[in-house]
Amino acid sequence: MNNKPSAYNNRLGLKGWMYAGRYSFERYLYLGHRLSGLGLLAYMVLHIVETANRIRGEEAWAELMALFASPPFRVIEYLLFVMAVFHAMNGVRLILVELGFFLGKPKEPVYPYSTSVLRHRSLTYIIMVLAGLLMLLGSSSMFFK
Amino acid sequence: MRETRLWSLHILAIPIIAVLLGMHFAIMHYAPVFYGMSVEEARAFDTMIERGKSVAQFVIYILLLIAGLYHGLYGLRGILRELPLTPALVKVVDIGILIFGLLIFALGAYVTWWTFNAPLGG
Amino acid sequence: MTDTKQITFRVRRFDPDADSAPHWDSYILNVPDGMTVLEALHQIKAEKEPTLAWRSSCRMGVCGSCGMFINDFPMLACQTQILHFGTDVVTVAPLPNYPNVKDLVPNLEPLIEKHAAIKPFIIHTNSKEVDEPTGEYIQTPEEREAFSQFTYCIKCGLCLAACPTVATDPLFLGPQALAQAYRYTADNRDCGLKERLEEIDAFHGPYQCHMAGACSQACPKGVDPAFGIQLLKRTLVLDSLGFGKKPKHVAKVMPLAEVVKQIEEFAPPPRTVK
Repeated sequence: MNNKPSAYNNRLGLKGWMYAGRYSFERYLYLGHRLSGLGLLAYMVLHIVETANRIRGEEAWAELMALFASPPFRVIEYLLFVMAVFHAMNGVRLILVELGFFLGKPKEPVYPYSTSVLRHRSLTYIIMVLAGLLMLLGSSSMFFK
Repeated sequence: MRETRLWSLHILAIPIIAVLLGMHFAIMHYAPVFYGMSVEEARAFDTMIERGKSVAQFVIYILLLIAGLYHGLYGLRGILRELPLTPALVKVVDIGILIFGLLIFALGAYVTWWTFNAPLGG
Repeated sequence: MTDTKQITFRVRRFDPDADSAPHWDSYILNVPDGMTVLEALHQIKAEKEPTLAWRSSCRMGVCGSCGMFINDFPMLACQTQILHFGTDVVTVAPLPNYPNVKDLVPNLEPLIEKHAAIKPFIIHTNSKEVDEPTGEYIQTPEEREAFSQFTYCIKCGLCLAACPTVATDPLFLGPQALAQAYRYTADNRDCGLKERLEEIDAFHGPYQCHMAGACSQACPKGVDPAFGIQLLKRTLVLDSLGFGKKPKHVAKVMPLAEVVKQIEEFAPPPRTVK
């Protein structure tokens, strides 16, 4: 009897990166890190291409700078700053945690079980608060001339 | 050791980017705070060329290009390869990202070198 | 007569012979305090839907058979108290990220294959020692505690259902295999890191874990696979820099008579009958 009826593919796919269940917020920090990383990469490549305009001379450059000084671009600049701060601060947490720091020591599991995620949650909160502060402080740059 | 080495470089790039990008932010976006000149002045053609002539600036930009592009493109490669790809597509992603990174680095390095050698006054 | 509460169970059904896609069926039961989801499934099968299929065995949380996606979270059905949810509707679905064979039954072959791929057994410097032992491996309680929590894995597969990387990447080893890879690497009786490197130090190894932490949250035995994976990354990085486990760190084999001589408390008391 080789004719097995086919199983249903129950893989979540890209939905599994977004809401996939009642998991804790660290799962969404991971998603935020990915999205901000992609945004920053796209910006970095555009930035390298855009600043290469200087070789077209002073007038071309001045035109470009005037465009970027306009209000919509100042707001986009700030959003990029927010993404960079989030990505950097969460990245600090990730370097420390992915190399095994701040996670405690392995020991016999005793119910109710603690997890490495919960054990470093105070570090996560501190980093998020610092990130929020930096974002607030940085908002002043939107108003620089 | 292959993937461990690639990942370790990805992590090593983080403090490099943190320091150099911080300096770049300070010069460009926080010029009024750190350099006493307006943002408009800091981005003006003349100021930019003058700044670009220092060896320190040249080295900083090249290092930032290498670290930033490596870190970002390694991350992109990770995201793309976590999708279900055929072995042929995997090769396309790996080689495509490598070539793309080298091209963008070449552009950035050329522009940095051009600024270093540009005559003052445009 | 215990108080019961009326609970609606929304169960995801799939018949591979008849359906092309799953659908949901509802059953209403009067649930007393203390009833588990597994008991509810048995009652549904006995009274309402004889064709309902699922996997279960020990009904006490040690075999790992009854993993299901209950109210949007991967849980063991036998360990899930219905009334603790506090809701009137309980949804029961098969574990995501595994092929769905029928109703609530997942095909756990991906879990088992990935586990086998990381060579889940002690690899000793002296390869004959494992098959023809000449004595005991020496392991202190501290050395044991370095990996002990990862030995509690019951291969229930809830962690792979929770992992966002497993959701898109069929080749990713997954939290279970990677935590077990660490369990063997950290065991002082094992020196098989080099043999496992081909599987672990590849793209679909530990570096595709991004510390979402959902696996540790889902694990019903407190194994904390996310912790094991981060420790594995640290081990691999240190090893690539030359600070890995050296042969002298691997447990010595000592005949039992020698062991007894060294540890007085294990020696028998002096004879009193001459």
